[in-house]
Amino acid sequence: MGNRKTIKKPLPSVQPKMDEWPIYKAYNKKEQFLEKVKSQVLLNSSWINKDESTLRYEIKNILYEEKMRLSKTPWKSDNPKEKIFWSEIKQKIRNSKAIENKEGTKEIDEKILDDIIEFYLNEMVANFKISSFKFAQKALPYVYSRLINSFPQIVYKLFSSVDKLYDRMKIVGDIDHIRKLQEIGTVVVVPTHYSNLDSPTIGLSLNNLGLSAFTYGAGVNLFTIKSLSKFMHNLGAYKVDRRRKHRLYLETLKSYSTIALTEDVNSLFYPGGSRSQSGKLEKKLKLGLLGTVIDAQRINLDNGNGKKIFIIPVTLNYHYVLEAKKLIDNYLKNKGKENYMEDENTTSFGLIKRAYKVITSNPGMTVSFAPAIDVFGNKVDENGNSFSNKGQVIEVADYFKLNGKLVRDVQRDSQYTQILGDKILQEFKENSVILSSNLVAYVAFQIIRNRFSQFSVFDILSLPKDETIIKVSEFLPKLEAVRTKLKKLAEDKKIILSSDLDFEGNELMRIGIEKVGSSHPKYVLRLNKKDEISTQSMKLLYYYHNKLSSYELEEQS
Amino acid sequence: MRKVAVIGTGNFGLALANLLAINNRVLIYARRKEIVEKINSREIHKGQSIHERITAVNDFKELTDQCKLIFPIVPSSNFKDMLVQLSPFLTPEHILIHGTKGLHIDVDIDKVDRLDKTQVLTMTELILKETSVVRVGCISGPNLAKELSANQIGGTVVASRYNEVILAGKKALNSHVFRVYGSNEVLGVEIASVLKNYIAVAAGMLEGMGYGDNSKALLITRGMAEMVFFGKAFGSSEKAFMGLAGIGDLMATCNSKLSRNFRVGYRLAKGEKLSEILSDLNEVAEGIKTIKVVKLLSGYGFNSPIADALYKIVYEDWELEQGIEYLMNLPVSDDTDFFTQTY
Repeated sequence: MGNRKTIKKPLPSVQPKMDEWPIYKAYNKKEQFLEKVKSQVLLNSSWINKDESTLRYEIKNILYEEKMRLSKTPWKSDNPKEKIFWSEIKQKIRNSKAIENKEGTKEIDEKILDDIIEFYLNEMVANFKISSFKFAQKALPYVYSRLINSFPQIVYKLFSSVDKLYDRMKIVGDIDHIRKLQEIGTVVVVPTHYSNLDSPTIGLSLNNLGLSAFTYGAGVNLFTIKSLSKFMHNLGAYKVDRRRKHRLYLETLKSYSTIALTEDVNSLFYPGGSRSQSGKLEKKLKLGLLGTVIDAQRINLDNGNGKKIFIIPVTLNYHYVLEAKKLIDNYLKNKGKENYMEDENTTSFGLIKRAYKVITSNPGMTVSFAPAIDVFGNKVDENGNSFSNKGQVIEVADYFKLNGKLVRDVQRDSQYTQILGDKILQEFKENSVILSSNLVAYVAFQIIRNRFSQFSVFDILSLPKDETIIKVSEFLPKLEAVRTKLKKLAEDKKIILSSDLDFEGNELMRIGIEKVGSSHPKYVLRLNKKDEISTQSMKLLYYYHNKLSSYELEEQS
Repeated sequence: MRKVAVIGTGNFGLALANLLAINNRVLIYARRKEIVEKINSREIHKGQSIHERITAVNDFKELTDQCKLIFPIVPSSNFKDMLVQLSPFLTPEHILIHGTKGLHIDVDIDKVDRLDKTQVLTMTELILKETSVVRVGCISGPNLAKELSANQIGGTVVASRYNEVILAGKKALNSHVFRVYGSNEVLGVEIASVLKNYIAVAAGMLEGMGYGDNSKALLITRGMAEMVFFGKAFGSSEKAFMGLAGIGDLMATCNSKLSRNFRVGYRLAKGEKLSEILSDLNEVAEGIKTIKVVKLLSGYGFNSPIADALYKIVYEDWELEQGIEYLMNLPVSDDTDFFTQTY
């Protein structure tokens, strides 16, 4: 298990022949792929085989939920032919009503179920076109550099901006190890999720690592512009409709992911589900899709190929999050609740429009790849061997064995998913890179909070501006105190500090204040000539401070 | 016939091995070679006969190679040392169901004035920390070794996060004399199995002081409430405390002169010194240690008046009567407050 390093430029592909990439092979034989997914759905949906009335009830329930979705939460991205499809299903159910309560409905219902699964799969399935990928490989760095570099004129030094890109976008991790694992197994990347910019950020990073292309789920709301939608589709994006919550759809989605993994296709999930609204690190993961890595690993062993699946947690660390204001507002409004309706506003066009807004200034980011783990959270060496926390070599097959045989056990595997989820959360925490902006936001917010220790967070967020001004003489000692604690955590490998944090106190304060949320219309922090630090937005200060709130520094600071 | 293993040749280890031998061939690990020989020659050991399907071994490799289902029945004070030796031979294929009613404390409790949650591990947590085994469970209930070895009918709980482990435990142990129930409430079951030890000390004291059944019923019921308070403060629900490992074990251990903890309390009430009792008990009385552990964890805010009174008696030389007076003068709360109290 080697060392972390920063890559300065894109590395050559681990497998230069794109037509050898599993993603190409799998989506090139789409019918076979979808057939496997369908079998997997049927295998995992034990309720189908229960009895005729259960099956009929489930189908009616699906129909009801779909109709409700179409009438209550219609989206522009909805397939116009969908209404016809569900009407036909309704008709088929109605036609078979005459023989309901008699034998024979099961066969009809199984056919209806088949039709529904096929409908979902045809909507969901991704594609992979080498020409599209090559185009993206060339174009994305330029587009992206425009997004994160600070050049007032778009056409100015277009080509040199790509070099500048890597000054601003740091990609760090045990890169050689990850590349080695790509040669022998399937790679699953699980990033933290803060921003809509995460996907292009991670996409570019993975390409720069030289890994084969990844398949990933993308919300249907992102498929509104036809040309862009097609482009995303051709780059391995499968469509996920988060409004659908009934078990057949969720099972279809999980089975899709499972089969993609067993076909050796690299995959990407955001295990936190949606973007972190508070700016805090993920504390709880959504285990549904994550569980598919366990199932896929067992199937690989069962098939005899034994191909290993490696999980790589990734943390994305920004000085500035484009949509921070909206996220924190949402968080404060409905603590902990997701708001999918809000996502509908995030159309692909909206994304581009808003991305342009940050062209003028962005202080950059760090993409941090954690050490690879197997699907049970064990560390792996360069040959893909798994090791227990005591350093003992272990076989992943042993986790699935009972009385010497590989056994499928859904309840057991759900516990394993929990173990993996906990491990990913730990890796997120230990591999987060603390930037100068996180530190100054944390220190400033804590100083203000300590002044009003009896107040709730909501009270603090609505303090008058005068009450939130901090003297540099008060700020610097706190900064040093928190920095000392962070250094201790870094020594114990509980966190990673960016090189900014080595600057002398005054310089660190200045850089952090300059970078924290630098492009918001209201400034997050500012230092004036009277040596006073002030904020125009306590909410944004709270948001940027939150990243460090997972490290229990409060009591000690 | 399936082969399963037991580690430990104490009273409970042997009794469990005999029960397992009804359905399985059993390998039992003994540290000392003379005990291996004694067991294999079917001599009566610790007052128990040895079932013909039991074979004793002294080699962890042999044990782990032959058996994937293992029951470690070792005192909590030796549990970690045993795991350190066993760990190199274990793989994730093994299932461990322990029967140790105690906690592992990472520090010397005589040298600290408070404990942090992270310094206190249940045996399940210790197994997960020290080995590569993930499928872990525990067995707990009113299982007084002497009654088990006399083939009296009884029951127990196998608790685990994994249904697979519960089923394996049931399959191995369930018989015409022994009923095995399942539970996913593993933390609650483990906590109950530990805390009941000090309630048993208190029950022994009451009996030694001449109190009758009403008094003991009050102690047992409020003892259970105290166990629930503690359990909730550490993240378990009240469910496990209502089952065999909770109220079941509490009733058995608080009413039995076979219980070590009960005997310690009884003899203290009769005026014997603790050091003398412990030295000629020749066995571990977990309850005495637990009283201190509960006291050192009191910073977590749970209600533990019985443990507080026992601490004062055992470690601060209070008279037993003072302890009774203390408890009887506390404000009374709602009868079933353990359902509503949250931490």
